[in-house]
Amino acid sequence: MAATVQSRPRKVSIRVDRPAARERRAVRRLLIGVSLAFLATFLFLPLAAIFAEALRGGTKAWIVGLADPAAWSAVKLTLLVASIAVPLNLVFGLAASWAIGKFDFIGRNLLLTLIDLPFAVSPVISGLVYVLLYGAHGWFGPWLQSENIQIIFAVPGIVLATIFVTFPFVAREVIPLMQEQGTEEEEAAITLGASGWQTFRRVTLPNVKWALLYGVILCNARAIGEFGAVSVVSGHIRGRTNTMPLHIEILYNEYNFAAAFAVSSVLALLALVTLAAKAAVERYSLRAPESAPADPILIASNLSEEPAL
Amino acid sequence: MSIEVTGISKSFGSFRALDNVTLTVPSGELVALLGPSGSGKTTLLRIIAGLDRADPGSGAILFHDENVAKRDVRTRHVGFVFQHYALFRHMTVFQNVAFGLEVAPRKTRKSVADIRDRVRELLSLVQLEGYADRYPNQLSGGQRQRIALARALAVEPKVLLLDEPFGALDAKVRKELRAWLRRLHDEIHVTSVFVTHDQDEALEVSDQVVVMNEGRIEQVGTPESIFHHPATEFVMRFLGDVNQFHGRVESGRVHLGDVALPGLSVPEGAVDTARIFVRPHDIELDTRRNGQPVVEATVRRVYSAGPVSRVELVMPTGQEMAVTVPHERVEALHLDTGSAVFVKLRRARVFA
Repeated sequence: MAATVQSRPRKVSIRVDRPAARERRAVRRLLIGVSLAFLATFLFLPLAAIFAEALRGGTKAWIVGLADPAAWSAVKLTLLVASIAVPLNLVFGLAASWAIGKFDFIGRNLLLTLIDLPFAVSPVISGLVYVLLYGAHGWFGPWLQSENIQIIFAVPGIVLATIFVTFPFVAREVIPLMQEQGTEEEEAAITLGASGWQTFRRVTLPNVKWALLYGVILCNARAIGEFGAVSVVSGHIRGRTNTMPLHIEILYNEYNFAAAFAVSSVLALLALVTLAAKAAVERYSLRAPESAPADPILIASNLSEEPAL
Repeated sequence: MSIEVTGISKSFGSFRALDNVTLTVPSGELVALLGPSGSGKTTLLRIIAGLDRADPGSGAILFHDENVAKRDVRTRHVGFVFQHYALFRHMTVFQNVAFGLEVAPRKTRKSVADIRDRVRELLSLVQLEGYADRYPNQLSGGQRQRIALARALAVEPKVLLLDEPFGALDAKVRKELRAWLRRLHDEIHVTSVFVTHDQDEALEVSDQVVVMNEGRIEQVGTPESIFHHPATEFVMRFLGDVNQFHGRVESGRVHLGDVALPGLSVPEGAVDTARIFVRPHDIELDTRRNGQPVVEATVRRVYSAGPVSRVELVMPTGQEMAVTVPHERVEALHLDTGSAVFVKLRRARVFA
């Protein structure tokens, strides 16, 4: 790809002045001021507070807070859960999108609706459902016990609950794109002799790779941060079944604010890394040659004559 | 390689897209499937390609006397060109054209160098040598369709199928590209079928035209025979502007108004009435009677902006008629709104 970049027409930005869409300067400043104030109060300030609180006792206290074996175990468990749930949902999401986006079958709309179920249902209920199914007194409980398999109040339960809650992210990103792209490219590929797998790997997958990556990042963010569903199935066994969000809550309830904020800062840091990755994906996907607009003229939104700030 | 379709039917639910269609495409010919949308032409093309399946139990599709109806689309060796190009958007022009060669099974796959040479050759065939490193969205519509054609030809298909190949292009590019397709076909001679709803395109490009309507074939023939000897009313209407009059059948002759039209035989099944069809350019106008049986009419308007003049007439019965005549004729006869003219139908067709 890189070799072809220089031969591409350069994107030209044109500022279009649309008088009808131009606001008076005072109105514009007011709107911008209000949004910035809102962002500062509700987003930036809390984020800054986490790091300020975490480092209030100095870096030494921060390190002590994290060095606690229970905290370290929570970090490891969180990463373990995410590293199982995200790849599985990548596969499930891709399979579901492929089925819904490229084929017409009975029950397609039902499947489309079911994919949204985890968004619609409260995470607490998602957790409770698993307790109902796999708990000691649940439907499969006695059998699981006789086989000596523990799901609830153990890592498998946490993984299951996380998979459930994060299921829609990949599918929701990829389905609309696959629907929009239709099946003509796949048909072209098979008339050229490509097998099903070749068609998928060389045509379908590359066409959705950015959406897929974007979905994975969102899925990962949610998998790391999930609280409600995980809280129900975890059992809160310190050092064993506590993920980071659960561990933070316990520390907070024990008035151990320094440690709570130390762990919080790590979680927030992971979130920031995720955001950076998401921004990078958005940037690269727009810059990728195949997704450049057909007409190499990007019309910038109306910022009118003078910069707003 | 010839294509033979025998007794193919296809239903979508209760809609019958193809109704017992039988068709032969001789080897090396370029054949147009012409018809309005919903006539089944694209469905027929996709069934020939193997992208869709005919109804179970309906007929056969033979490529050079071999039934391929059960064969997978991959093994039919057809080249398919889509209306919206269907180029692989994340691949360069080179990668697009090379795709069919690269996915071939290892046994039959060409070497990297051979693939490169073949792609070069094809790009020069479609006159886009310098575009190998471009992406599809950096090409114009006409260029994209030429790349799609090169990609389809790369695997040396036995049959080339084109689904409205110029349908997404603007009028000027369309005209250029169809003349180019005709020249290309004269060069490579691969048996080709293309679908179009544009009668000019079908008549200009193809060796044979297959006119389709409501899942059936109305007529098959050379462009000349289709245009000059339409077999059905539908073909007559579909292939260009046409005037329709209600005629009477009296004592074995077809009458328009009071005038018995010469040289027209009464169609089978016409008892009292018959419909008369005349193309605007098959009508002669005069301001004198000239002794022949003619129809009288009054000029309503003359449109002279164009290659020929278009004259709108009204007959005493109130029926309207459109006529095209050379500008010189309009001037010589001093035709203007309100002029009285005598109309002679040079070539008319009558259907029951």
